[in-house]
Amino acid sequence: MFQRLQTKLTVLYAGLFALALSVVAVAVYVAITSNAQRTVRQEMAGSGAVFDRVWALRTQRLHDGAELLSRDFGFRAAVATHDRPTVESAIANLRQRLGLDLAFTVGVDGEVVGLDPARLNLETLWSALDAEDGAQGVFTIDNKPYQLISAPILSPTLTGWIVFAARLDEPEMLALEKLSAIRLDAQVFDQRSGHWVSADRGPVDKPLAAFVGRAMHDKLLEPVLLRGGADSLVLVKPIKALDRGGGAALVLRYPMAQAMAPYRPLMAAVLIVGLLGATLVAAASWALSRGLAKPITALDIAARRLQRGEDVTVEVTTRDEIGRLAESFNLMAAEIREREAEMIRQALHDGETGLPNRRALERAIEKRLAAVGPGEQVIIAAIGFDRFTQVRAAIGYELATELVAKLGQRIFEIAPGVLVARMTTSIICVVSDSNNLDDLLKIVEEALPALEAPIELGGEPVDVHITQGLAATTLGELDAARLIERSLIALDQARAAHRKFMAFDAAAYGDPSANLSLMSEMLEAVRKGELYLNHQPKLDLRTGAITGVEALARWNHPTRGFIRPDLFVGMAEETGHIRALTDYVLAQAIEDQARLRAAGHDVLMSVNISGRLIDDHAFAQYAIAQVAAAGARLCFEITETAVIGNPDVALSVLDRLAEADIPVSIDDYGSGLSSLAYLKQIRADELKIDKAFVTSLEAGDKDALLVKSTIDLAHSLGMKVTAEGVETREGLAALQLMGCDLAQGYHVAKPMGLEKLIAFLGEWSIELPARDDARKTA
Amino acid sequence: MRYVALLLMAALWAGPALAGDFTVTVRGADGKPVPDAVVMIYPNGQPTKGPIKFAWPYRVAQQNIQFNPFVLVVPVGADVAFPNLDKVRHHVYSFSAGNKFEIKLYGHEENRTAKMNTAGVAAIGCNIHDQMVGFIRVVDTQYAGKTDATGAVTIQDVPAGAVVAKVWHPYLRGLKNETALQTKSVGAGPAREQVTIDLRAPAGH
Repeated sequence: MFQRLQTKLTVLYAGLFALALSVVAVAVYVAITSNAQRTVRQEMAGSGAVFDRVWALRTQRLHDGAELLSRDFGFRAAVATHDRPTVESAIANLRQRLGLDLAFTVGVDGEVVGLDPARLNLETLWSALDAEDGAQGVFTIDNKPYQLISAPILSPTLTGWIVFAARLDEPEMLALEKLSAIRLDAQVFDQRSGHWVSADRGPVDKPLAAFVGRAMHDKLLEPVLLRGGADSLVLVKPIKALDRGGGAALVLRYPMAQAMAPYRPLMAAVLIVGLLGATLVAAASWALSRGLAKPITALDIAARRLQRGEDVTVEVTTRDEIGRLAESFNLMAAEIREREAEMIRQALHDGETGLPNRRALERAIEKRLAAVGPGEQVIIAAIGFDRFTQVRAAIGYELATELVAKLGQRIFEIAPGVLVARMTTSIICVVSDSNNLDDLLKIVEEALPALEAPIELGGEPVDVHITQGLAATTLGELDAARLIERSLIALDQARAAHRKFMAFDAAAYGDPSANLSLMSEMLEAVRKGELYLNHQPKLDLRTGAITGVEALARWNHPTRGFIRPDLFVGMAEETGHIRALTDYVLAQAIEDQARLRAAGHDVLMSVNISGRLIDDHAFAQYAIAQVAAAGARLCFEITETAVIGNPDVALSVLDRLAEADIPVSIDDYGSGLSSLAYLKQIRADELKIDKAFVTSLEAGDKDALLVKSTIDLAHSLGMKVTAEGVETREGLAALQLMGCDLAQGYHVAKPMGLEKLIAFLGEWSIELPARDDARKTA
Repeated sequence: MRYVALLLMAALWAGPALAGDFTVTVRGADGKPVPDAVVMIYPNGQPTKGPIKFAWPYRVAQQNIQFNPFVLVVPVGADVAFPNLDKVRHHVYSFSAGNKFEIKLYGHEENRTAKMNTAGVAAIGCNIHDQMVGFIRVVDTQYAGKTDATGAVTIQDVPAGAVVAKVWHPYLRGLKNETALQTKSVGAGPAREQVTIDLRAPAGH
């Protein structure tokens, strides 16, 4: 709910205090109220008792007066003898003496003396007086309640009653009220025609009248809290009434507001103290939580900044837990910084040499790229140790690494503004501070002797042979990774060109990314028939006939034109598309052979099988099936090196081909480092001598000897021999003399399309020189 | 002499009118016998002409701060004696109309008399002792008497014929504390009647 600790704490404390205070206030209020009520009740009960006593005394006083008069002999004599004037004067005398409101006699015969009988309900009064000896109670005279006291006049028999009446009016009530310790409202209620009324004090309070009726009915003798308007405690004390028997009641009232009045300052004090306290607590907890929350907030902010990787330290202001937390935080932040620095250093440096690594290099390039102006170049150089593996083998791993480090140091010493990074174990990359490639090439040339000066390792000077490749880029041309790649390619190019340094040659490099799309295009070309076979005839040196052809795949790309076979075949081998290509060549060869047969030329057709397929049983099975199905006569040309990769499988595949009567020819013999042991194991039918030997056949005796011995070796192993690259009549003759079986080369024929081949075969005739010579010699 | 005259009168009246005893028993509403009830019989509804004489003394003594007897029946004109047998003094009075008298403080063994002038009641009291209440019933008929402790009274020699008979008691509820008896005539020989009266409590004490 609250986002801030400070607010939370303040609200919590202030709230708790306010709650506690409210509880206290309510408890105080309840205690005070109940106490006040109890006090008032007790007071009322006490006052009620006092009133009872006062009432009784007053009654007694009146009674005594009445009694006294009733016993006065003269008075009695006057009454008994109906001496009215005497009686009246006696009554008046006593009334004055006792301070009575009214005094009169009622005779047993109903005669009233001392009062106008019309003012009262004589019949009711007479009955009441007659019903009880010394009857007393409330009686209404002139519609006003009076307390009536009677005493019988006996002379000696009952002749009448002397009646004293005291008004129950306001002064009377006030006099009663004054007797109480608390200021009570006293009121006399009497019942008239079913309603409880009080004739005295102001208009009738209806709820109070109703309550009096209820209290009288239920005989409630305890003070009761009467709500409505102003709450008041009401005590209803029944008083005897003389008329009708409905009764009368003395009602004592005490307003609760008055009872609460003395406590009001206390309540106000509690409230004010409470409000003051709550304000103080709120302020104090605000201040306290501020002190508490401030360092936490500072820590929070610092933690966020630390998260963002900023360098932060929080101020330690206190020595409590939070202070210790801040100290810990600072320690942690420092450790994180150190660790981070170490990690960055490790991430950006080569562990062995301590030189910056490739990532550092890329960053430096990116930084330079961001800083260069338009048209300016960022140039890097890849400096590679020549024949590093050999050097490392000679001086050991550790020293070789030191050699790299020292070279890096040397570069840095020569050109202090550059960044030197170790790229691979043997290559160092340098980000130049120069912006111009041509200028830099000159500088590099000048610095070359200094760079290649021997480096001292373990007290011994070691020769340094390096090659440099340079690459440059403008902003937006290349990214760091591509620039590095280009420098490495330039290094390779320089080595290939046997130069000490070279800038990247884009023309020589071509576009490797285009090569990948070439493969999908090749598969497309297979379908569209853009791929086709050229056939190079093979001449039988004994008969002079063309007995075989070698099928060679050719691709005429619709946009790129003629594509070199070594490019797309090599690419197919590298990318795993060789099977598809070979399957196509196989099918095409079978079809071409069929067409040659149809044209009347039965020739053995040789197909080149990639080394990648020679250890593939599935391919072998497929090829055998195809050949068998077409009844074709094919020869599979393989290179001996293909067998070396996985000899067991390759040899078993060759066995299967032999079993299927598919002759196998060993291609390019002599170009690799083949061993005679393999030659012995391979069940081949033919050996093709590499053209490198054949072209130089006439130049030296060594090659001629090699070719001759090879032919003899092959023959002794039961294989025919084909010589490749025969380009001259002399060469052909020499081969014929050496006993070579077949010849292939430009001197015989270039590879050609099927139509051309059919025409060529139709016109073929040759005068074999050796035969001529043999003829001549013979 | 008086006796002879009486006899003569009786002889004179007895001829045609035979006489008999008339006994009245008075009971209260609670069924208990009521003493001190006065029964008065008026033959032919007429008061007795000539002097009336009762057998009991016309005397109300003050004894033990009480009037004794509580009720005394006397004929009109009788002098009632008020002997004080107590050691204290009394002030006997009556405000009763026609029989008003007052015997101011007099002492022990003193005897005073008062004349009862009018038929009716003389309620007597003592001005010193409020509790002392007594009644003198002044009658104008020969045939009267008061009930004893058993509530009975026998009035002798009531002439046969039509009569008006009343019962009076100081506390009887009714006009003048009287009520009429049912008997309208008496025959020769004894007659009996029982009457039930309603009494109220004596006032003021």
